[in-house]
Amino acid sequence: MSQGPKSQSLIQNTKCECGHQNPVGTVLCEACGKPLTEEAEAQPILEMRYDGVARRSQKANPGLIDRVWNFFSSVKVAIYLILITLIGSSLGTIFPQESTFLNIDGSVYYKQEYGTIGHIYYLLGLSNTYTSWWFVLLLIMIGASLVICSLDRVLPLYKALSRQRIPKHMSFLTRQKVVYQGAVEEDGAAWVERVKPVIRKKGYRVRTDGGTLLAEKQRFSRWGPYILHIGLIVFLLAVLARNLPGLHMDEHMAFPEGEPVHIKNTSYYLMNDGFEVEFYTEDDLPNEFKGRGKVLPKRFETQAILYRCDANCDNPAAEPELVEVTRHNIEVNKPLNYEGLKAYQFDYDLTPILRSVSPVLINRKTGEEYGKIELSIGDPVKEYEAGEYRLTLREYYQDFGLGDNGEPVNLSSRPNAPAYLFQIEGPDLPGEGIRYFYFPKQVDKERFQQDAINAQLAGGEVLFDLDVQGMEDVDFAASTTYLNIRVDKAMPFIWVGAFIGMVGLVMGFYFHHRRIWLRIDEGTLTLGAHTNKNWFGLRREVSAILKQMGIDVDEKSLDNNRGSQS
Amino acid sequence: MTLVEISSDAFIAAFFLYCASFFMYTIAVMGRRFRKRDPEAHLAKWGKIAFITGVLGLVGHLIYFFTRWAGAGHVPVSNMYEFMSFMALAIMIAFLILYFIYKKSLLGLFALPLTILIMAYAAVFPQEVQPLIPSLQSYWLGIHVTLAALGDAFFAVGFIAGLMHLLRTVDFSQSGKSSRREQRWLELCMFLIVVLIGFIVSVYSFRAGGYEAVFNQPQVDPETETSTIVRVEYSMPPLVAPYNSETESMTSFLGMKSPLFEAPSWMEGVNAGRKFNTVLWSVLSGAILYGLFRLILRKPIALFIQPALKRLNPDDLDEISYRAIAIGFPVFTLGGLIFAMIWAEIAWGRFWGWDPKEVWALITWLFYSVYLHFRLSRGWQGKYSSWLSVIGFIVVMFTLVGVNLIIAGLHSYAGTD
Repeated sequence: MSQGPKSQSLIQNTKCECGHQNPVGTVLCEACGKPLTEEAEAQPILEMRYDGVARRSQKANPGLIDRVWNFFSSVKVAIYLILITLIGSSLGTIFPQESTFLNIDGSVYYKQEYGTIGHIYYLLGLSNTYTSWWFVLLLIMIGASLVICSLDRVLPLYKALSRQRIPKHMSFLTRQKVVYQGAVEEDGAAWVERVKPVIRKKGYRVRTDGGTLLAEKQRFSRWGPYILHIGLIVFLLAVLARNLPGLHMDEHMAFPEGEPVHIKNTSYYLMNDGFEVEFYTEDDLPNEFKGRGKVLPKRFETQAILYRCDANCDNPAAEPELVEVTRHNIEVNKPLNYEGLKAYQFDYDLTPILRSVSPVLINRKTGEEYGKIELSIGDPVKEYEAGEYRLTLREYYQDFGLGDNGEPVNLSSRPNAPAYLFQIEGPDLPGEGIRYFYFPKQVDKERFQQDAINAQLAGGEVLFDLDVQGMEDVDFAASTTYLNIRVDKAMPFIWVGAFIGMVGLVMGFYFHHRRIWLRIDEGTLTLGAHTNKNWFGLRREVSAILKQMGIDVDEKSLDNNRGSQS
Repeated sequence: MTLVEISSDAFIAAFFLYCASFFMYTIAVMGRRFRKRDPEAHLAKWGKIAFITGVLGLVGHLIYFFTRWAGAGHVPVSNMYEFMSFMALAIMIAFLILYFIYKKSLLGLFALPLTILIMAYAAVFPQEVQPLIPSLQSYWLGIHVTLAALGDAFFAVGFIAGLMHLLRTVDFSQSGKSSRREQRWLELCMFLIVVLIGFIVSVYSFRAGGYEAVFNQPQVDPETETSTIVRVEYSMPPLVAPYNSETESMTSFLGMKSPLFEAPSWMEGVNAGRKFNTVLWSVLSGAILYGLFRLILRKPIALFIQPALKRLNPDDLDEISYRAIAIGFPVFTLGGLIFAMIWAEIAWGRFWGWDPKEVWALITWLFYSVYLHFRLSRGWQGKYSSWLSVIGFIVVMFTLVGVNLIIAGLHSYAGTD
């Protein structure tokens, strides 16, 4: 409120001597260009930013919304925001971010790897710099600044540039950075008519008004920065939208050769139908690598088949009905892409993996074979029939181990040590049947003493055995490929934003808005010229124009030296 | 002779042509003070000869680039040697473009030594053609890296013009507080350049002398927690040994038979000790070189260079600096960020992963956008903006070299130590 009287006086002063009523905050009269403020009046060379128009933020009595608007409309604030973001991002590169690892415990890892400093780094949250609230807030604030800074300037600037008047005040012309003054012998209007085609030839649009002229070219380059800002806003919005549920998926999955694996939260299955890897031979390697036993892969490829599940997808008891939709050989740099679902080659493992076994249930004493069951290692079913006997799966461990109290536990979800606890029912067995532990891998049988466990479970003698009789009853996956499965529905917007931004950059940086004003008063030519970039080129152009009119001036002497030269 | 051998010869030819060009630029500026002849004509004549020699060097450099491309079967920007060579090439191209706009051949007086330094630095790294790992086998390697480097090269020319502007305008006759500070910072820039020369001189001297020292350092693998002994080979006398290491062999140097001290415990990485040792040698030999310069010149280096630039208009230099950065900014945005994102999307399935190199490319971009916004403000043209162009170039060099040497990440593929 204390600003009352001051703004009052500003309002009174905004009427220019040419009769034009300017809005509050106008620096140079919108019509004739005469400097209006004391500050502008004192400048030896006029500050031509935004053509001296009033910005939206320059209001007489700002309210709360105006104050917020004013804060974000300041270029200074924008610069500070960028600088803080810059410093913030650099902090995130001191140690690796947690996101670079697939699974680590940050509270332990940083202390172990980098000592106390690393632990402090973790505690400060810098191990997740780029997803931290303050970093996201900074990005949002930059977004707000982009919108408000642009709106604050682009509308008044657009108005000013589309309503330019041709005659300009003398003090506007003589305080441009490129200036020429000299005598002209012929009539002013005639001279202006004569210079018109010369300037036009340089690509300018020329308008005249008696003895005055305005030539302008490549005005569109003034919109470059604003178009860049629009592109950046689209980009930032797309980045923020990726955090919305359903728009983004990012999973690292293992695909053992030859079996379709369900891709979580989708109706798709992907099968690794064969994996190939090729290594550089010793001859391909440069001398410094030779003889070091360094293995460098040359190419690796997953022959992938993508299926869509049409029925029985969520029914564990039945086989899902899969329909092939596409095949693609996935390599690094050559991902599979099916309607936005993408699979990238990420890693591979050449260790064979047990996929299924088909053991036979035999009588331990007589050796009589009752029947064969087919047991899938990763995906066992609930019940099996072996002749007259029925096996019901009670417990199933991917990675069997013993807990602190000696009870069986699952150590991980990797099939390192699969184990199955069956309930066997059938002839000559007690009503509820007997329990039987089965370890498909020979090493595990010995390590966990399968026979001893079963003897204990049976309460004495072990009656049965599940026994794999030959290699044809064991099914291995030769290798496993690791794919990164991604869905990113915001991607098109990211590219659109980047493209718009690029268009803006090219407009703004490779084209230059140039304007030449001139007036002839009683045999004196006064010329002023302005550009937002590349003064050198403008001086050269003006000098060439004057030369064609018979006025010889050195390019350099067009430079307005008022006060700037020591 | 294979293509790769032709390419190596072309590299050396380009290097010496650049050196000759630089020498002639020096004659162009210095000669006019000593001879009794029209200084303008002398400058014009020798400036022209120097410029043409520089362009011939660029031709040789281009021959290097394309023959190596043909010989290796991939765009030669995949390791430090190839990348730095390309960087030097790009700086010459950017210099040429700015020359065609502004016709200031004196820009070469600074552009050439920078190119020469970067080429010499490139040659420090192993020069053999290396096979590409699968993630680099993409035409995007050529598009992304060359365009990003070209953008950086314009920033480098912006830095050159900015530095020339400072050398031209910083007043050494004043002794006020702020002028003193300015003089000191400018001289520090000169000192840093001499340190870079010191690094290159010491690498080549010890290499020529065939110096070697070997250490054994235990390294603990954090995942398996097993310890292995790693051999660390030094090619410079060990002022500092790797942390917690034992000397296996060491050639004595000037009576120094054992390392002077051991690296602190936080420098426990495999090559941290050796890198630290290299830094020490660079600073040491840089300081000696700088001391020699000062003894001979009897004044600060910046003050010694200043008269050579007297004929240049500071405003022109300021504009060239700004223009170079304005030309480079869209190129860098496209090559260093947008194409990088497209490739990352194709190769790794994410357009952005906050990898240190990516972050530093973003920091470079943010820094130059700050520069461009500052140019809008009154009072930020001239000196301030020249200082920003100098700092900007330090950021660029850190992104290109520092990140690979210190931080590493996905971009640290080949021969960076």
